[in-house]
Amino acid sequence: MTMLQVRNVTKRFGGLTAVDDVSFDVFQGTIKALIGPNGAGKSTLFNALTGFDKPDHGSVLFEGAELIGRRPRDTVQAGVARTFQNTQLFEEMTAGGNVMVGSQAHQRRGFATAMLRLPAAIDEDHDAREQAGRLLRLIGIEEWIDTPASDLPAGIRRLVEIARALATGPRLLLLDEPAAGLNTTETHELVQTLFRVRDTGITVVIVEHDMGLVMDVSDEIIVLDRGRKIAEGPPRMIQKDRAVIAAYLGEETDEDA
Amino acid sequence: MRGARTLGRLAPFVALAIIAIVPLLVTDRFLLKIFTFAGINALVVTGLALLFGYAGQVSLGHAAFVGLGAYTCAFCTVRLEWPWLLAFIASGALAAVGGLLLALPSLRLKGHYLAMATLGFGLLMTLAFVEAEPITGGVDGFGGIPFPTLGPIEIREASSLYWLVWAIVGIALVAAFNVTSLRPGRAMRALHGSELGAQACGVDVVGVKVRAFVVSALLAGLAGALYASVVGFVSPSIFTLTASIAFLAMAVVGGTRSLSGPLAAAVLLTLVQYLDALIPGIPRETAQTLQSYQEDIYGLAIVLVVVLAPGGLASMWRRQTRGSHAS
Repeated sequence: MTMLQVRNVTKRFGGLTAVDDVSFDVFQGTIKALIGPNGAGKSTLFNALTGFDKPDHGSVLFEGAELIGRRPRDTVQAGVARTFQNTQLFEEMTAGGNVMVGSQAHQRRGFATAMLRLPAAIDEDHDAREQAGRLLRLIGIEEWIDTPASDLPAGIRRLVEIARALATGPRLLLLDEPAAGLNTTETHELVQTLFRVRDTGITVVIVEHDMGLVMDVSDEIIVLDRGRKIAEGPPRMIQKDRAVIAAYLGEETDEDA
Repeated sequence: MRGARTLGRLAPFVALAIIAIVPLLVTDRFLLKIFTFAGINALVVTGLALLFGYAGQVSLGHAAFVGLGAYTCAFCTVRLEWPWLLAFIASGALAAVGGLLLALPSLRLKGHYLAMATLGFGLLMTLAFVEAEPITGGVDGFGGIPFPTLGPIEIREASSLYWLVWAIVGIALVAAFNVTSLRPGRAMRALHGSELGAQACGVDVVGVKVRAFVVSALLAGLAGALYASVVGFVSPSIFTLTASIAFLAMAVVGGTRSLSGPLAAAVLLTLVQYLDALIPGIPRETAQTLQSYQEDIYGLAIVLVVVLAPGGLASMWRRQTRGSHAS
């Protein structure tokens, strides 16, 4: 089943077309990778999908509902969560506290209930705390739960951000370079984590430079170059694609000649 | 660590217990009045602790909300002859509306620009207090404001006024503590930490900012009403930029993500103004010099804290408890 339908998305910054008429589908329960050289428009596309940026043109249907024009908060509540290339953790809060903020996407109790310390507010807090523990265990980093984010190693920071995104209760998870700054062991653990996440029924779209990881985890790969989609298909096919090889190695292709 | 944290959480309540018995030990009416002013300032600073310390939004115009509350209380009790409690609530409500208005620019502005907007708001309100003479009494001020009454009971004794003010501070602190320790507080801290991250978590960034402004303005308005009722007289010269900076200084010195730090700072920095009354032996001239340099002292306090101890009193206290646990 198609979970996400991206159609003709275009985003310009002044004279630069960062994303140029890109269309693709993401199927439920799969991991799809979005790759391409620096400046190919991957993060711009992520921002367009999650309400952080409004594309100039195009449509993004998530489970049949239009995402374009929604605020980030509404996108999250619709079931699409994301992480950032530059981790956006709340430095002064613990890893657990960070994940608890993720739970706010589906919490309802407001200022007044909290002010009066009504049971509903306490229960909600308790639930968020339990969920944070559960998610950090799922990701395999529960021992960091009480560590302030500012004290976390780079690899753990990325995982905490994933746990925090999961706390919003997404059906689609967008990860922007989750392996950046990870060593080989950590990357290997990340792969296992991504499979565990997918096995809980969450669809994953991942922007990543680590080709080993991309080839290991993805069911399908889309390649962007200078804002345009130049290839799409399963890893084996992408590895042999001449346009892709050219884009990465900077060679002339038959097409260009 | 957990024990230290519990201790840290209990600190404000221990402090309040000490504060509660002050009138039993201090009989001097002037001294009690100083401690009452400390409570009024603490109320303002508790609101600022939420706005600045937790939500990370700066305000250089908070004295305007205090003024708004003070004039509302004066007008409602004297001109409209409302019962005090009603006037008190109206003061908070009107200031909260002011906070809502000031929150609007905060949705688009950040950092220095937000500071400028709040500064402008403060200056504008000071001007309004002077110019709206039929309501505020202009530069001459507004006098004859009655003491607080609760039903048939008039609260006019220095000790009763002290208790009234600090009881309200206590209620505000408990409410603020509840807010900060639950979902809204976490949202505020998230907003402070990373606005992008907060948005990605589905935090209602706009709502959090607006609520923080409204609640802090409400507390400032209530503080203003208490000030008007305790002193019996208000004039525009009280609610100036200097006062706004003094409040901000208390919040900054007190530290971020804390209620006890700002509470302590509010009390300490209020008492500094009245050293001559507090320390009997102090030469009058020294006290006067200190008083004339009051603004400079506040400015210096802000600079020193920002440069030397960015987390303020609260973080020094936190470091202490963390260190003691490690040993």
